Amino acid sequence: MPSCKDITNHTSEYLDRHMPWHKRIGYWLHLLMCVHCKRYVDQLKLTISTIGRTQDATPPDVSDEQIKDISKCLQEQMAKTDRE
Amino acid sequence: MATPSLPSDEILIPKLLARDELAYNQIVSAYHGLMVHLARAIVGSAIADEVAQESWVAVLRALPKFERRSSLKTWILRIVSNTAKSRLRHESRTVNLGDALEDSPIVDPSRFKANAHWATPPMNWHADTPDALLSRTELSECISSTLSLLPPVQRAAITLRDMQGLSMEDICKVLEVSESNGRVLLHRARSRIQQAIEEHLKR
Ligand SMILES: [Zn+2]
Repeated sequence: MPSCKDITNHTSEYLDRHMPWHKRIGYWLHLLMCVHCKRYVDQLKLTISTIGRTQDATPPDVSDEQIKDISKCLQEQMAKTDRE
Repeated sequence: MATPSLPSDEILIPKLLARDELAYNQIVSAYHGLMVHLARAIVGSAIADEVAQESWVAVLRALPKFERRSSLKTWILRIVSNTAKSRLRHESRTVNLGDALEDSPIVDPSRFKANAHWATPPMNWHADTPDALLSRTELSECISSTLSLLPPVQRAAITLRDMQGLSMEDICKVLEVSESNGRVLLHRARSRIQQAIEEHLKR
């Protein structure tokens, strides 16, 4: 059975389901019995979804105009490469 | 942009190689925002656009040699990551993976008893949704500033996983790290933010 410290060291693996099943069972049993770790894991889960909701989380908007500019500039650059 | 949905890699790649204008527009429309987003995580917003532009040129030059061992998207993001990292090196800022994997504890050891069980357990946040949490004064600023203090590779990992939703496998290809190192980077980054939230709520 993992200790509370072990629980905090492997929370992402548990939440992202990257944990082998035998470790997962021990982890899950610990969470059934330990309210503190249950809270810790819930808070990491909440942290992750909150990160996804902050301003930094959204890729910048690219306008149609920018897309055309970049695309045109790249086409010109590649045409130049083709000639070389 | 009202571009029709992006065609599959199999269809798109030959068109890009043939310098098809619509294909260029489609691919720029689909990935430019994500590329700038990732570049920002590694080099900061001041030069992120420049890094993305530079990456596009590298992508198109290397495309004839693309071996399709990953999706085109993953391969493009890997080029962005490498362009951004070499840019950091140029400015003699480090992209030291060792620092980002540093062996410092996830939770302050003084919060545990000798038997590794909690002595100072997590406090109650009185919030169980992101909205409830983000309604706290300046919490979103606190998250932003904590993100800005993370080592660049950790910030890249969290951007790719928790913001862009890539799989761990793709993230490791993009950042060129092993699966176990990728997980460590991500968990450290998330834990730092969790800790910052807790400290912020204590105030
Ligand atoms: Zn526990």
